[in-house]
Amino acid sequence: MNNKFDATYSPPSHSHSPVSLKDDDSGDHDQNEENSTQKDGEKEKNDKDKPQSSIKRKAVVPGPAEHPLQYNYTFWYSRRTPGRPTSSQSYEQNIKQIGTFASVEQFWRFYSHMVRPGDLTGHSDFHLFKEGIKPMWEDDANKNGGKWIIRLRKGLASRCWENLILAMLGEQFMVGEEICGAVVSVRFQEDIISIWNKTASDQATTARIRDTLRRVLNLPPNTIMEYKTHTDSIKAWEEFHGLVNSSGR
Amino acid sequence: MGMLIWYRRLGLAEGVALPPGDYSTTPGGTLFGTTPGGTRIIYDRKFLMACRNSPVAKTPPCNLPDIPGVTSPSMDELQTETNLIPADDEKPGLGEEAQFDIDI
Repeated sequence: MNNKFDATYSPPSHSHSPVSLKDDDSGDHDQNEENSTQKDGEKEKNDKDKPQSSIKRKAVVPGPAEHPLQYNYTFWYSRRTPGRPTSSQSYEQNIKQIGTFASVEQFWRFYSHMVRPGDLTGHSDFHLFKEGIKPMWEDDANKNGGKWIIRLRKGLASRCWENLILAMLGEQFMVGEEICGAVVSVRFQEDIISIWNKTASDQATTARIRDTLRRVLNLPPNTIMEYKTHTDSIKAWEEFHGLVNSSGR
Repeated sequence: MGMLIWYRRLGLAEGVALPPGDYSTTPGGTLFGTTPGGTRIIYDRKFLMACRNSPVAKTPPCNLPDIPGVTSPSMDELQTETNLIPADDEKPGLGEEAQFDIDI
């Protein structure tokens, strides 16, 4: 999928921006593998020491009296550049790593110093993924995966996001290694939260994730939840991008 | 894939019984569930929220990037604000669901 995607639409040196996506593709980050630039966020802070991601990669561990998490996670942030069409540069500048944590307390240190999604402006996303998994379709952990999508009217994103990520960090989904990460996407008229898992074809897993979502988000029974495979997301992106491309990119 | 794992939240209010499996609880309220998939570190929302007020959780991470409008290493007012958010646990149901009843 990755290869096909890249081969069809992207010269190897390119990254794609999600800006060409429609809102229903929120949470999709269709750049390709040159995502090393995603380390920009940490680079800004760390390049006096080491310029690369080794800072984050090296042992983020729980502090002495802290509560360890099942997995380490990394916060990411991305924002569409206003009025700017897709370009590799804009995407690379759009996504930033905020940081990685290994314990409940470390999570709060980040979370408490980040704005809540409902207070974000513009076309922005927070991503919270297991350490080592990039918030993009092509990552090995994601390439056969998919996501549950829930659209929220304005005003709900902050709390839903919080409940979602707390459930993820607390291992409430109980689907083994299947969860990859979660995304909240702030859009013009609605916000969207999604949770990504590894194996789109595993219906027992996707059903369990759905049920857990309903529970932890306290969703009414009639809430529409959509499962979308990343393969389909890529197709949609390809179609949409084809249109964009015809007018030049 | 297809791995069967049982779980429930610790301190579940909904009256759902714990499924079969070996569980133990730490003084901190952590549930370690031993499942066919192995032991996992499980925290419920209430416990995680309680950890929010620990001193260490309130200090910003040392290498938090400064992204205007998104993060701020010295965003004390933000911290205060988030800490003031009433715990939903205290009144589950009503308030929350009311916010969902229009559309999603």
